[in-house]
Amino acid sequence: MREEYLDIPVEPPAEFQPLFVPIPREYVENAFRSDEFIVLVGPQHPGSGHMRIVVRIKGDIIVDALPEPGYVHRSMEKLAENRLYIQNIPLFERPSIMDSSNYNVGYVRAIEDALDIEVPERARYIRTIFCELSRIGTHLYDAGIFSVFLGHTTGFMWPFGLRELICEANLRATGTRVTTSFIVPGGVRADVDDSVLKFIYDSMGVIEKRMKGFEKIFIKNPAVIARLKDVGVLTKEEAIRYGVVGPFLRASGVAYDVRKVEGYDAYDELEWEVPVGDDGDAYTRFLVRVEEISQSIKIIRQAIKNIPRGPILSDDLIGKLKEKDQVRKNIKGYFYRIFSRIRLPQGEFTSQTEAGRGLLLYSIVSDGESNVPYRVRMVTPGWLYLKGFMESLKGSRLADLQAIYGSFGYFPPEADR
Amino acid sequence: MAVSGTSRQKQTDEVMELTLVNTVFQIFSSNMMDIPVIKPLVDVLMTVPIVKYLVALILWKPFFAVILVPGLTGLMLSLLFIIWFERKLTARIQWRMGPLEISRSIGGILQPLADGMRYFFQEIIIHKEAHRPYFVQFPILAFIPVLLPVLFIPAGTVYAIRTPYALPVIVSLISMIPVVIMAIGWASNSRLAFIGTVREAFMYFGYEIPFIIAVLAMAVLYGTSDLYLIVEKQRVWGIALNPISALVFLITMAMATSRLPFEIAEADQEIAFGPFVEYSGILFGLTMTLAYEKMYILGLLFSVLFLGGGSGPPLPFLGDLTPVIWLYIKAVIIMCIMAFLRAVYPRYRIDQALRLGWTYLAGLAVVSVVIAGLISAGGLLP
Repeated sequence: MREEYLDIPVEPPAEFQPLFVPIPREYVENAFRSDEFIVLVGPQHPGSGHMRIVVRIKGDIIVDALPEPGYVHRSMEKLAENRLYIQNIPLFERPSIMDSSNYNVGYVRAIEDALDIEVPERARYIRTIFCELSRIGTHLYDAGIFSVFLGHTTGFMWPFGLRELICEANLRATGTRVTTSFIVPGGVRADVDDSVLKFIYDSMGVIEKRMKGFEKIFIKNPAVIARLKDVGVLTKEEAIRYGVVGPFLRASGVAYDVRKVEGYDAYDELEWEVPVGDDGDAYTRFLVRVEEISQSIKIIRQAIKNIPRGPILSDDLIGKLKEKDQVRKNIKGYFYRIFSRIRLPQGEFTSQTEAGRGLLLYSIVSDGESNVPYRVRMVTPGWLYLKGFMESLKGSRLADLQAIYGSFGYFPPEADR
Repeated sequence: MAVSGTSRQKQTDEVMELTLVNTVFQIFSSNMMDIPVIKPLVDVLMTVPIVKYLVALILWKPFFAVILVPGLTGLMLSLLFIIWFERKLTARIQWRMGPLEISRSIGGILQPLADGMRYFFQEIIIHKEAHRPYFVQFPILAFIPVLLPVLFIPAGTVYAIRTPYALPVIVSLISMIPVVIMAIGWASNSRLAFIGTVREAFMYFGYEIPFIIAVLAMAVLYGTSDLYLIVEKQRVWGIALNPISALVFLITMAMATSRLPFEIAEADQEIAFGPFVEYSGILFGLTMTLAYEKMYILGLLFSVLFLGGGSGPPLPFLGDLTPVIWLYIKAVIIMCIMAFLRAVYPRYRIDQALRLGWTYLAGLAVVSVVIAGLISAGGLLP
């Protein structure tokens, strides 16, 4: 079809200049000439999160989508260079606070790798339990946001209500509801009481039961299926090419899970499966995450049943401390005596973790002399799958933007760090 | 001579004025609401010189129908109720308490009133790009097509205008509301408002035709479009005679009042309330209640067409008020059913809603016309 237009000078809308929208002037002019329309979704938009997506639409179809992340950039990596190794633990869980245990475990494992610390078995089981709790919490959080993006308020409230159980479990075991900072190099901060483990075990049953109701009202809802089927499809090849990670990669048919590959913590001692989808559309991405919740419940139950007795902090760290037996149960009172002296040998130490939304990579560079890291590189899953997210937008309708956004569970604070 | 002439003139003026007032009073008092409970009070008040005109006016049936129930006051009360009910119902389904801060002892039912007051005292921001006069006028003008249909809806003998063309007039007035919404979106002059306006226009074509055909089916079935006669003819309720028409009416009603799953034109997560994105303060309050007002009118129409209008078991001592109350209760129940949808459904996409409207709903509407034709040809109705 021959495109016809009047060659009159096009003035890009005035708002593009004061808002510092980082797209070239020619791009805007070109769009306006070719009967297309540029819509700025965000950052002040109920369905965008803390980011802007410059959406170029033709009619109702998205032709191009340019992300503009960085609105919640907090310079984690630079801040980390001025803090002790141990002080970085609370810092690095901030990007995605629902997922705090997984974020702790990634950073801590890089340090353990560098210092060659052996983690006691009980501590590994406790770590696994809290990592999986965090994963369930993240999946529930994203399911809630996803539902409200589709206009389903009940689907928003129920997962958030269920997440209260996980916050309560965190509170009983660690003293905080969300940002636990519970996992430290060489183990965990304190032993977890049997009554708390019993509470976690029971709340898994509640979550499993309530998820059935959620399935009825949201997952199997015909309107939801109509909205999500064949929307924002990423094929297997595309998903690999764009570097999509985590549940979203598995939804496209790639059975890659760092927990299986590396087998850190207690994952290789427990029985569980990696849920894999085929279609790679928004609905499959969501179903994979829902299935991961039930797998996490399975892991937690096994871990609580099989948890061994023993110390929760590595003897490599405790060293020749006089109050050995006390510190093996609870680090309280000896925290800085043990950890403030940590100094990594010279070199670069990397760890990969499967966080709630996918692969999380920490890379610590140490000069071997100072007690602060020389450089910490942190690559979050959100940042890794942003490209795939933008590519899957192309060709879908403008109304599907929120559906695809929710299916990826894109979380700007996590991606911006 | 001149003096007496003027005084005579004055006298005739007074007499004429008196006769005019008396004529109007005659008109009022000849068609008054007969409510046995307050009859003694009315009788006393009718003997008081000036108050009697006022009482006659208020109890004059057309005035009562338009200004009180089912008209303006009923509309406002149902608005306050349904917004509270919707919030409370969805809250109960979602493991929450719902509004309780205002008037805790009666379940927070005054919350919508408090919200309305807050809207009233908020600043109305009119942005630079807006078409100022239209931007301010249209939310208020929107009340005209919303309120005028009340004139034609009979609650028993309480009605303002009785005409054989009542049904077409109501349908055409209701069809004018989306035009006002589109004008609102145009006057807002914003991208999201523009997208919302286009969506509203598409939805309008999606639901309006099945809706009109479904209403037409009922007119065919009853053989008249005089709503008063339609109510009289319903020995069996219309919903039992032609359930398909009722179904189409209900679904198109959800589409017309932008309830979920058809809240497409003002999808707040996608286009931030669409045509109403730029409004604030009381103007936003007006635009927000527009859909609820439309829902009330459609609920009244549904009650009249399918649920026997004002018919129902007689209430003792209420006389002419009985059909008014029954009609009102039926309309509010229909609104409650619509409010329930919000807790269960997400939003459809515009193309899916249009496909539904143009295929299934239009087909069902045609089927309902056939059913109506068969029933009316078979002489099943008196």
